[in-house]
Amino acid sequence: MAEREYPGAVRGTPIADDGDEFTFCSTCAFSAACLSEGYDKSQLRDLHVLVEHVGPFREGDHIFREGDPFNAIAAVRGGTVKTYVNDASGREQVLGFFLPGEVIGLNAIASARYPCNAVALDTVMLCRFSFPMMATLASRMPGLQRHLFNLLSQDIGKASLLAGNYTADERLAAFLVLLSRRFAERGFSATRMRLTMARTDIANYLRLAPETVSRVLRRLQDEGVLRVDRRDLEILQPAVLGELAHHVLRD
Amino acid sequence: MQTTTSTVQPDRAWRFDPELLRRYDRPGPRYTSYPTAPHFAEGFGEEDFRDVARRSNDDPIPRQLSLYVHVPYCRSPCFYCGCNRVITRDESRGRTYLDRLLREVAMVAPLFDRDREVVQLHLGGGTPNFLAPRLLGELVAGLGRQFSFSHALDRDFSIELDPRFVSPADIETLSAIGFNRTSLGVQDFDPKVQEAINRVQGVDETLAIIDACRRFGMRSVNVDLIYGLPLQTLEGFGRTLDTVVAARPDRLAIYGYAHMPRLFKAQRQIRDEDLPDPETKLALLELAVQRLGDAGYEYIGMDHFALPGDELARARREGGLHRNFMGYTTHAQTDLVGFGVSAISHVGESYTQNHRDLPSWEAAIDEGRLPLWRGLVLGTDDVIRAGLIQQLMCQGEIDTRQVERTWGIDFGEYFADALAALRPLQDDGLVQCPPGRIRVTPRGRALLRIIAMCFDRYLDNQGEGTRYSRTI
Repeated sequence: MAEREYPGAVRGTPIADDGDEFTFCSTCAFSAACLSEGYDKSQLRDLHVLVEHVGPFREGDHIFREGDPFNAIAAVRGGTVKTYVNDASGREQVLGFFLPGEVIGLNAIASARYPCNAVALDTVMLCRFSFPMMATLASRMPGLQRHLFNLLSQDIGKASLLAGNYTADERLAAFLVLLSRRFAERGFSATRMRLTMARTDIANYLRLAPETVSRVLRRLQDEGVLRVDRRDLEILQPAVLGELAHHVLRD
Repeated sequence: MQTTTSTVQPDRAWRFDPELLRRYDRPGPRYTSYPTAPHFAEGFGEEDFRDVARRSNDDPIPRQLSLYVHVPYCRSPCFYCGCNRVITRDESRGRTYLDRLLREVAMVAPLFDRDREVVQLHLGGGTPNFLAPRLLGELVAGLGRQFSFSHALDRDFSIELDPRFVSPADIETLSAIGFNRTSLGVQDFDPKVQEAINRVQGVDETLAIIDACRRFGMRSVNVDLIYGLPLQTLEGFGRTLDTVVAARPDRLAIYGYAHMPRLFKAQRQIRDEDLPDPETKLALLELAVQRLGDAGYEYIGMDHFALPGDELARARREGGLHRNFMGYTTHAQTDLVGFGVSAISHVGESYTQNHRDLPSWEAAIDEGRLPLWRGLVLGTDDVIRAGLIQQLMCQGEIDTRQVERTWGIDFGEYFADALAALRPLQDDGLVQCPPGRIRVTPRGRALLRIIAMCFDRYLDNQGEGTRYSRTI
């Protein structure tokens, strides 16, 4: 039988590879802000704001490491990026996960160096922006500036969200609800998603034991709230999950 | 056979059609895996296995575990056997084999997270009870130290037994060790056949073991029979069926004897002229299917039957049937970890097989290496097709729309070749294709392998004629 093409990406994280030299990717973190200010992609290129599309990074590849000099922020076009630091005893602390359309490197703006590590959890494609150029541009474009501030505050909010005294169920539900919203915001399914992060990463991020993550998920599955098949997760009862999450999310 | 199918529920038995079976009698895989073992590659090594094990731990809900332990030794050679086994009367080899097994377990177990419970343990062979009950106890205890055994009521700890070398007292010990299911080899009680296959086994001693299994709390007893053996006759096999059915084993497997003397040396002891002709072989199968149907056994799939109250029969009716290297099971997808010579593991989307010759397996363990021989990571296409074959084998139908949704494919386009191959089978009434379904009919039940072969992408250009046994 002849070789043919098989669908590989169907169950993977969706990749926004629809952008080119002149058109923004559909998931672009900045396109709306720029377009509303009357800048299209070629104009941004002329201003040397757009640096380059980079990648693919393969699973386990580091995108930057703690202490690397900072000069660019990057929007994720495809795949998932995990950021983490190692504490004094060398233990990994997961800081966050970044999906297509989200921006990594924002927490480096205050210093000249990246304060954490960023690693690809699957095949990752990035769009890098020169930060100095972008800051200059933002001073001329109130919309872009506002957008940057929004991104920054979201980044801070994300980190503090799970710091409260919540049960394992509440944390996990909040995590899934937020993931679902983030996918939905970029036009992907809000109910069917692929968890590209390992359960140890999820557990670490939520400050839970890995077996607790599985136990809670299994119970939610038994109760018909969601269905898990390996890395694929389907939310069957979003309302129930939302109810569980609402203490954490306060909405 | 019309007489049986007309008296039972339509989904219960086969519709027996000798002409059809004759026409479709051709070599084919049994699909305990897809792709099948001949497609595993030797490049798959220790690093690959560690990687798939790690990934399997990384799932949000890591799968529960099934363990398989292969014991290759037999005290005497049964001439029909195509299994991987070593004939010896030296019982001390059991001890040394067990020691290495436990070392293998100590190397492999740490690769799997401890919260992954073992819900299934199966000992196969060879002859697992070549190991004395005391050694079997050590084996299970060793596994229990390295893995977390489930304490759920539905955990299945099963062992294949050669009834000639086990006593009712041994069954009591096995039960105390934790085994709760047994599978007994019978093949045929006809003395002439038993002589021709070099396996003389009394009726009474066999029935005593079945009885002991019941008394000491085994949740099910399976009996293996084989049709197509040398000197087998309808009368003799009929008596065997009567005897076996009267003992009411919960499960029965009726295997067709695959005569492949070029592949299996022991089979060269069987004289070609003693083998039943194809007509008789079919009649033997028909007889078995009829007797089991009359006695109330339900068809599970492939060669397997069970009483209606048995968990497998219930699972089949409720769509909860699964199939792995150890056969049909009620346990949902587990990761399977195999130990011992030639054992196969199925972890994540990979297959791995241990060395199948004893010296290589022993040498690897003595050097502290995993005794891996070959393996395979399934590609997306393999995963899709493996899922379809599993559905055919377990549910008897494929939900094509579900497949389209899951994989984002157009079924008709993607499987154009398979659907074309299915067309003659459809014309013969083996499968029906109403919108959104591909359904095995009662006529098609006996030919599951043939139907599954339509979806096997590897079958086209190879000499499968010598590799696989015939389907009937």
